[in-house]
Amino acid sequence: MINKLKQAINLYLIQYAIDAILRSKSKSLFITIIFTFLTFLLTSIFFITNSVKHELNTTVDALPQITVQKIKAGRHYDIDISIVDEILEITGVEDAIARVWGYYYFENIGVNFTIVGINQYEKQYKDSFEKLIQKVDIDELNENSSMIVGHGVKQAMEKGYYLQNYFNFIKPDGSLKKVNIAGVFDAQTQLESNDMIIISQEQARDIFDISEDMATDIVIKVANPQEIDTIVSKIKLQYPDTRIITKNDLKVSYQNIFDYKSGIFLAIFIISLFTFFMIIYDKSSGLTSEEKKEIGILKAIGWTVDDVLKEKFYESFIISFISYLIGIIFAFIFVYLLQAPLLRDIFVGYSQLKTTFELPFVFDFQTLFLVFFLSVPIYIAATIIPSWKTATLEADEAIR
Amino acid sequence: MIKIKNVSKIYTINKNNTVTALNNIDLNFKEGELIVLKGASGSGKSTILSLIAALSKPTTGEVIVDDKRISKLPDRFASLYRRENIGFIFQKYNLIPTLSVQKNILLPLVPSNPDEQEAQKKLEIVMKKFNISHKKDAIVRNLSGGEQQRVAIARAHINDPKIIIADEPTANLDEKLSIHFIEILKELKSTNKTIIVATHDPLFFDLDFVDKVIEVYNGNIVS
Repeated sequence: MINKLKQAINLYLIQYAIDAILRSKSKSLFITIIFTFLTFLLTSIFFITNSVKHELNTTVDALPQITVQKIKAGRHYDIDISIVDEILEITGVEDAIARVWGYYYFENIGVNFTIVGINQYEKQYKDSFEKLIQKVDIDELNENSSMIVGHGVKQAMEKGYYLQNYFNFIKPDGSLKKVNIAGVFDAQTQLESNDMIIISQEQARDIFDISEDMATDIVIKVANPQEIDTIVSKIKLQYPDTRIITKNDLKVSYQNIFDYKSGIFLAIFIISLFTFFMIIYDKSSGLTSEEKKEIGILKAIGWTVDDVLKEKFYESFIISFISYLIGIIFAFIFVYLLQAPLLRDIFVGYSQLKTTFELPFVFDFQTLFLVFFLSVPIYIAATIIPSWKTATLEADEAIR
Repeated sequence: MIKIKNVSKIYTINKNNTVTALNNIDLNFKEGELIVLKGASGSGKSTILSLIAALSKPTTGEVIVDDKRISKLPDRFASLYRRENIGFIFQKYNLIPTLSVQKNILLPLVPSNPDEQEAQKKLEIVMKKFNISHKKDAIVRNLSGGEQQRVAIARAHINDPKIIIADEPTANLDEKLSIHFIEILKELKSTNKTIIVATHDPLFFDLDFVDKVIEVYNGNIVS
């Protein structure tokens, strides 16, 4: 078996290829650095895109099918809870839930927290909240004036010198409301919950000054998603002073942000590819006189065109594959361990007011294959083609 | 053994410019002969060597070695023919200057992927024979002219070819080294190798072990 393998793989040729790389150290090093950098850049772009896409898809999936908001003077106002019962009477509506939630601006470090008020005895509009109330007694939170915070919220509070286990909210009338931290929220996805504070609905109303008969908005669940448009038009007809946002609308607006951001990435991607192909063009445009002479010598001492091309294949494969591997490893470290400094800001820049957000690890073989096929075979071809041109000349001519 | 029949070689420089290197020549060499081709630079000596080594093809005519028409061989078979039959010592040695002595000598064996022990044995024999063992790890470009030539001879010899071809082998050597090279040739001849040397060095013309001295002038055989 080993003997057969030895016969199939010519180790002398591989050794010659390694020697050839080492003989032109600076040239090989330069190509490896450029190749590695471009692979790293391309892979990082794909990794970040995949992570953000995954994050947004998870967020969009968790969004309510229909959200009804009260609009006054073109602005979003609190909505009357009594509408919930009327909406429930519309055919096709499976459930309607009034939500009490809002943003709280934490001035010390300039971030927004999302405060969600939960009523233990009502149906929750999110599965994650249903799970939460199985574990946490919201009534108890209310009695103890406590809350559960997202990881990012806890970090932000500590960063803003709130090292104690409580937080003083400033209410709209200027008075303070002290709420204890009972625990850190177990994140389902980071975009959803990292900046979130879970609190009893009663306390949320107190912090935002929302009266008992009002809510922030109403979310609606529809039994048959095909009927969403019909139900939207019915609600619109019944309540002309509302804005109705469907999951699809939100999806489109998220997608727009994503497409805009990925457009910037596309530009970086094109520049990287352009640079790569410039190098390839330069390489494929010809060999130096020394390289030509070497091929001529090898042919003169009995190497066939196949032998020369095999050697060139090994040479270019070693350089390109090593560069590819290093580029991928660097991209992994850069994106998932270091959280893609600089590049990440292009995508998550819009959430400046949010608390910290981490790029989730999304492993995608397709990305690795795509980068491989965009780089390694192209580089190998660019090396082999000019060598083939020289190797097919008469040996005498190549040496001259 | 080697027959050159009505061979002409015309090099095309560009559309309107051609150079006739050989003009309808005929030559016959027997196995084990040592032949010296003499003539001035540009007379066509090196072209004859190139044709015998299948490094280039004649424009007309044919070259036959051991009843094989090597001038008609496709490129792949021409390479295999060179690998098995020809040891070429070039005027400027044509070594890979940045490789070590032993790696240069081993180069003709590389495509046949030999057993490591067998290759090492062959290497040691030729290095010892041509007195270059002590420099086996030295980089070729750091060697003297004489040492480089010994590496070139060792490389030409590693496959134990039937035909040794040397193109102006003493052009870059002083007299002492040239005489040493001639001694090596004598030794090779004693092993029944066919040796063809192209030179204009007078040292070769009166050697008693040379079988033929052929003069080439302007692409023609003069004597």
